[in-house]
Amino acid sequence: MAVPGGASWVQPAVTGRAEDDREAAFARLFDEFSAPIFNYVLRMVSDADRAADITQDTFIKAYKKLDTVTDAAATRSWLYRIATNTAIDDMRRRRMVTPMRDDEPTFANRPDPRPGPEAEVMAGTLDERVQRALMTLRPNHRQCLLLSDLEDMSAMQIGEVMDLSYAAVRTLLCRARGEMRRALAAEGMVR
Amino acid sequence: MTFDRDRHAEFEELISASLQGDLTADERRRLDGHLDTCPACRATLAAFSDQRRIMAGLRHVPVPRDLGARVRAGVEQREARRRWWQRPPAIFAGVGGGLAVVTGVLLALVLLGNPDDPEVGDASPTPIAPVTSATPIPTLPPLETPAATEPPASVAPSESVAPAPTATPVQASPEPDSYLAVTGPPDNQAMTLRDGTTRETLREVETPPGVPVAAELSPDGQWLAYIVDVGTGSGFTEIRATRIAEGVPSDEPGAPPPVDSPIAVGETAPLAESVGGNPFVEHLFWSSNSQYLAFTVVDRVEGGTDVWIFQPSTGVASRMTDLGNAYAGSWVPGGAGTSLLWISTAGERPESHLRMIHDSASDIAPTDLADSPFPAATDVFQPILSPNGALVIFWSGRMHESGEGWAFVEGGAPWLAENRQDGELGYRFESNRRLFTDVTVDRDAFTSAAIGWAPDSNTFVVWDAEWTGISQAAGTYPDQRRVYLGRASDPTHVTWRHALDVGDLPEDASVVDVKVAGTGRHLAVTARHPLAGLELPQADLLLITRNFDDVPDDVIDLEPDRDGWFGPAVYSASEWAELVGD
Repeated sequence: MAVPGGASWVQPAVTGRAEDDREAAFARLFDEFSAPIFNYVLRMVSDADRAADITQDTFIKAYKKLDTVTDAAATRSWLYRIATNTAIDDMRRRRMVTPMRDDEPTFANRPDPRPGPEAEVMAGTLDERVQRALMTLRPNHRQCLLLSDLEDMSAMQIGEVMDLSYAAVRTLLCRARGEMRRALAAEGMVR
Repeated sequence: MTFDRDRHAEFEELISASLQGDLTADERRRLDGHLDTCPACRATLAAFSDQRRIMAGLRHVPVPRDLGARVRAGVEQREARRRWWQRPPAIFAGVGGGLAVVTGVLLALVLLGNPDDPEVGDASPTPIAPVTSATPIPTLPPLETPAATEPPASVAPSESVAPAPTATPVQASPEPDSYLAVTGPPDNQAMTLRDGTTRETLREVETPPGVPVAAELSPDGQWLAYIVDVGTGSGFTEIRATRIAEGVPSDEPGAPPPVDSPIAVGETAPLAESVGGNPFVEHLFWSSNSQYLAFTVVDRVEGGTDVWIFQPSTGVASRMTDLGNAYAGSWVPGGAGTSLLWISTAGERPESHLRMIHDSASDIAPTDLADSPFPAATDVFQPILSPNGALVIFWSGRMHESGEGWAFVEGGAPWLAENRQDGELGYRFESNRRLFTDVTVDRDAFTSAAIGWAPDSNTFVVWDAEWTGISQAAGTYPDQRRVYLGRASDPTHVTWRHALDVGDLPEDASVVDVKVAGTGRHLAVTARHPLAGLELPQADLLLITRNFDDVPDDVIDLEPDRDGWFGPAVYSASEWAELVGD
């Protein structure tokens, strides 16, 4: 089964009918969300290997809890909440307070094995500056901003992911934007 | 001026919400009207819009091709594995089960002060120096470690704080006095304070909008102060204090009456809203006379930190500093009519200042530390005094401010010292030595760590220690996920051998809080389960007994059969003081 980003879900060989339904539901979930979840987590932790591990854990937890999802409309928030919580757990274990050093490999400046045009190299440079600005934000500000501007979630959906009220999300998001504005200005990117 | 800034802040929130189309018609009209007349807010709108465009245009990174296979392998592995807390504790197998029997065994193991006691070590084949855990230590053993910092400048004279040594064997309870528990269905969670021995509910506590991640009992036993983690992932915290008991008058002649309060027993005082995630912030400091609680508050908007004081006698929490980089440290025990608090300021080179409060003063106002009559202690950060005031653990090194607040970045490490009265000049930190004696710090650093003393004023615990350098021993060391139990009387203080056994904690749990009993070898560890989906946060409260040589530690889950959040626990310092006759 081909999925965006090249990953594929490997279904087990022998299953019963209920298991078939479960596997099919999970395959749809994995197909649709593995790439956006991976990219969201990648922006959170700024490390491709860790992002892959966190995405992996996210889908393992989702598989285990798949039966608890009764509202299809809430599936996206549910999955992002698992991803957010898993990333938080990971960050708690390795609290990310050390400022990035110039020589520290990040996903943005790690050599990319794929050939690409100059434009992609330039985009990578821009990417690196944005990522550096993102990493100066408090983790909750970073989550909130990514869910809003990268994942295009509404304040209500962000509240479902972060377990916050609508009003709290609006306040948090505004503070995150202010913090990001200063960080991007320090990178010479916005006014 | 303030009015204008507040007004812009209000419209900034509307501008931010407008980018997602989250405005009501009324809010839209108000914002449009304001933008017509405010160039600053128009610039904010342009900047936020640019920012959103930049974020939306971030490069899409392909998913690793083997992710699906990895998830499949993980699913199959997980289903084959039993959860850690489903396994019976090792001690149950040894004694045939039954908590009463277990407790009896534990009590039999803690006849403290007995010189024939075996040493408390870990399950390592390498022995460490023997110690006697029940005796408060007036001096530290000599250690040939050069001090990296000058002792802090002297401060105001006060009564001697050197403890009277005692050789009296003491038997103390290994189980905590009490602990917090948050249980119940998602729509009806309730917080209770439970007895550490019987597990019975002592008191219902006003249920907070989250789970408690730190707690400290006032020395007089009247108050429980705690920090609540509000909202999964938000990082926001609230600091609260619940009055849990009436004050009991002392039998001693001339002793002051217990501190009364306008807040009734059972009521909760919300003290401050803050942001958590940093051990330097998540620390509560009661004064020895229970008149004050000092804590650090992070400004949720600007991110700066300041010190606040809660006075039970008035029921009011007041801002003590207005600096943006101030952190609470310990109170200095002793002194009549005045209380002394260490306040630290973070910076390239941190400093600590002693602030005196006259106990008769009803109001506390922000203070300028530069006006203090006491000289600053340079290169000293967040001194944490032992309960008897004889010893101190403090931080030193170069600090840096990042997205998560101030932390050490170069040469940062905790130090152990004697807290000495210096004649007319005040206190000095003497015989400074590194807490981690087998770690070469150089240009690396411990960025931060959580540290707590046991009531015996000898044993201490360190956890959540983040180390920036390479491992200093086989495996990962220092390991942020491990808990280290050390003693001031042990010349090696903390080494890799002082880590609790790997098997003490669930594999994927993270340590939230640790308290050490006055026995010096029992710990109450609040261990958070990994978060998953829409589940409520859950934590186990584990009573861990350190064992000798190759014998694994004993671990008891205090609430093995219930889902919920259990912890943090608290031990009564005053009970220990009575036991040792301090």
